[in-house]
Amino acid sequence: MEWLNTHLLTALTFLPLAWAVAGMAIPGRFSKHWTLAGSLLLFAVSLKLYYGFDPHGAEFQFAESVEWIPGLGVNYLIGMDGISLWLILLTTFLMPIVVLSSYNGVEDREKEYYTLLMALQTGMIGAFVSLDSFLFYVFWEAMLIPMYFLIGIWGGKDRIYATMKFFIFTMVGSLLMLVAIFFLAYQHKMQFGSFSTALVELYKVRLDGSGFLSTQSLLFLAFALAFAIKVPLFPLHTWLPDAHVQAPTAGSVILAGVLLKMGGYGFIRFAFPLFPQAVVLYQPTFLVLGSVAIVYGAWVAMVQPDMKKLVAYSSVSHMGYVIIGLFSLNAIGSTGAVYQMLNHGISTPALFLMVGMLYERRHTKEIKEYGGITKVMPLFAVAFMIATLSSVALPGTNGFIGEFLILLGAWKANPGLTVLAATGVIFGAVYMLWMIQRVMFGPLTNEANKKLKDLSLREIVVLAPLMVAIFWMGVAPNFFFRKMETSITRLVDRTAKAGAVAVALKGER
Amino acid sequence: MEALKIVDPSLLGLTSEQYSSLGPYLWVVGGSLLAMIFAVVPFIPARISVVCIAIASLIGAVVSAAHQITADRTDLFAGMMVSDGYSAFFNILFLATAALSILASVRYLEKQKLEYPEYYVLMLFSTFGMMLMASTLDLISIFIALEIMSLSAYVLVGFRRNDRRSNEAAMKYFILGAAASAILLYGTALLYGSTGSFLITDILARVTTKPELMTPAYHLGGWLVIVGFLFKVAAVPFHMWMPDVYEGAPTPITGFMTTGIKAASFAAFVRVFISLGYGKDIEAAIGGRLHDVLWVIALITMFFGNVIALTQTNLKRMLAYSSIANTGYLLVGMIAAPHSEAGYAPILMYLATYTVMNLGAFSILSVLSGKGDTNLNLHDLSGLARRHPWLSFAFAVFLFSMAGIPPTAGFASKYYLFYSAIQAGEIWLVVLAVLCSVIGVYYYLRVIVYMYMRENEGLEKFAVPALAAFSIAMMVAMTLQIGILPSKMIAVTKKVVAKL
Repeated sequence: MEWLNTHLLTALTFLPLAWAVAGMAIPGRFSKHWTLAGSLLLFAVSLKLYYGFDPHGAEFQFAESVEWIPGLGVNYLIGMDGISLWLILLTTFLMPIVVLSSYNGVEDREKEYYTLLMALQTGMIGAFVSLDSFLFYVFWEAMLIPMYFLIGIWGGKDRIYATMKFFIFTMVGSLLMLVAIFFLAYQHKMQFGSFSTALVELYKVRLDGSGFLSTQSLLFLAFALAFAIKVPLFPLHTWLPDAHVQAPTAGSVILAGVLLKMGGYGFIRFAFPLFPQAVVLYQPTFLVLGSVAIVYGAWVAMVQPDMKKLVAYSSVSHMGYVIIGLFSLNAIGSTGAVYQMLNHGISTPALFLMVGMLYERRHTKEIKEYGGITKVMPLFAVAFMIATLSSVALPGTNGFIGEFLILLGAWKANPGLTVLAATGVIFGAVYMLWMIQRVMFGPLTNEANKKLKDLSLREIVVLAPLMVAIFWMGVAPNFFFRKMETSITRLVDRTAKAGAVAVALKGER
Repeated sequence: MEALKIVDPSLLGLTSEQYSSLGPYLWVVGGSLLAMIFAVVPFIPARISVVCIAIASLIGAVVSAAHQITADRTDLFAGMMVSDGYSAFFNILFLATAALSILASVRYLEKQKLEYPEYYVLMLFSTFGMMLMASTLDLISIFIALEIMSLSAYVLVGFRRNDRRSNEAAMKYFILGAAASAILLYGTALLYGSTGSFLITDILARVTTKPELMTPAYHLGGWLVIVGFLFKVAAVPFHMWMPDVYEGAPTPITGFMTTGIKAASFAAFVRVFISLGYGKDIEAAIGGRLHDVLWVIALITMFFGNVIALTQTNLKRMLAYSSIANTGYLLVGMIAAPHSEAGYAPILMYLATYTVMNLGAFSILSVLSGKGDTNLNLHDLSGLARRHPWLSFAFAVFLFSMAGIPPTAGFASKYYLFYSAIQAGEIWLVVLAVLCSVIGVYYYLRVIVYMYMRENEGLEKFAVPALAAFSIAMMVAMTLQIGILPSKMIAVTKKVVAKL
């Protein structure tokens, strides 16, 4: 118990993997129960983080450090702040839901499926707690392996194309990031006399950031490419619809719920504080791309005949908000962006889960196959409505808080683009509500839909926590802000001010 | 009579240290001689006794070489040969390669109806040649070592004597290998002519003290030696022999060649490379332009190897082209080595991990291959994971490792190499290298796609031989171990090259 208290993050990171390895010994038909128990245990352990985290304490808490590859200055260095706290909790919160939702959907090679899910969780938590850029990279890449198999084995018809595209896209970006990490470690050696890949050490490295092609800018672009692909930011988003549509429900939920957040998190933790001047230089570019993503994602979502693809494009649009929130480089926008990441991690998984539930019943995701579902599945319709309203940012739901703060922050940075981005809210309402109308309301014409069963108890249990979270986050945002605001202030101070000061100085000269 | 007096009598005898540092070589030579005798002894089945002798002598040699990895440098035969950490490191690598290839061969030869004991004897000879490659400091001995290694390999490549492709491969390998040796020998002659020494350390010392020795003949000789080695390591554009040879050779021999012969060529290459003054600030030496030429060769080797591998459907050919690509990465390490803190250590690390994962992959291919080396096309692997989950898992580990994905050995060593190249200021080369390796990711993962994500229509279920299973399991363990905790390996390689 004592060990657990001092190594909480290590336990949280590697418990899923250990649990999965142990699970290989038990018969395949029990592995879902075993995995559910493990993920619930993990969620319980992760709650300790919430209680133990002191928002006014040290920047990184629960920190651990072990020498790993001394020759390269790489340490096993982990810890968390108020931003990673919520992303870790989001991960552990979604995991039991994902496992429970797969109870009926997955029948083929169950043991492998659940083993990979647990291994994936190790990768995700590991990436959120890493404070060493090399360690982060290891988790970031290792995470690809389970996801690659999850999409490739249990996915839809074009799963192989989708999973390859997912893998290669991510690899291209992240390998360049790795080169940049090495370069930074080398710069650290030049400036301070020793190799280091530890984040706090790299923050100190001073680089020339005077132009769009200066060292700092090129390094920033290498990092930004990796993260923008993951977010995914227009025009690098094309892997996402393929991966989402082909992935099994659990894969889509994790992809949308957690993996996309990895991109935003990467900007916050790495790209911003490491390259403050370059961020300021490239701020307009990313604001434009983010705004385009919002509007473009919404427009494309509008014309999708496939529900899952519609939700996938809505992700592109929603993550565009995260980008403009982050790149407004002020506390309000950044808070909104982090909040929006959490929102998107709740509402989009809910939508994917419900599309999956419909798919399990009817084996189609085509919107035109449905209509009047409210009459046969009233409970389902209520849940679907709630998730939709959260997605279109209705006041009272979580989505509202996030988008409102982002637009507020972005207004300070660039009013013109904010107007453009705000139209995305309207388009968002259009495509979501239009989909609801076509699927849920209207006459019940399709014979096959008349015998659909409403939510089972298991499905209610799956959706209920998400519904609670949607309202909780919409009504009591302070509960969440309290733990993260200090960390966000630190981030903004480190980035925006350092960058702005440097740029201003240059202007005077 | 006068001539005899010139010879220093102390050179004819060996001290006890020198004897013990010759231990690994004596083990291997003794083992091969004993194996030859047992191959013809009546009543004792040769296929069992020879394998046992070969394995026993390799193990004995490993044990004896393991002592030397930390030991001091011992000069042998008037400096023609040296026993230091570097040679011990490579000796262990070659011995392990030979032992694991033999384990993979036993059932393979049974399947192919090729159970002739000379196969193992030739492998031991070839291994002996490799060991000499890593430990000689004399251009003539390097040439002899190269020939000992290659001549055995020529025969082994043509070992499937009733197969047309195997014969063609042997012939091709022999002719092109001989051409490469000739180039190397010609370069050696020119270097000797212009400096008056065969000893590679001496050559460097002489041109450093007397720059006027660097005549055009010296430059030409240097270039020819380099080209000879580039032939041997199959760098583009000197790679033409390689895919056909690798495809035609018996599968375990292909594994043996991609790892052992490549590593041996690099082992000697590095020693000669240093002696040619690269990175040593010798004015007007081939140093300056050598960098640019190697830069271009490394780039086209990586690019070409990866792009051609994309289009291959035969696994052996695919791995052959991937081996070309790996040569490219190693050349990146060669270019960077003198200007980075770790020096040549990343190359050693890369060769060691490449050996582990590539031998693992070829052991699996040896298990998969049917009579006449069939069953090695991509579609034969369809749905393999359902029938052979562990074999597929092992193959997946090796493939992820070759693709350079953490937490595997391939990741650790590839990025250690690139890390040191960045220190040397080769940032753009590294950027291009990682982009080339993304191409590689596609074809490695495609194999996994077939194994795990395709329908169940490939090979029937078959028995996995115990010996091969044992060696594959060991290599999986090593791939993961080096991947997760690479620091020990890094420390060893660093120490070994420090005394180079």
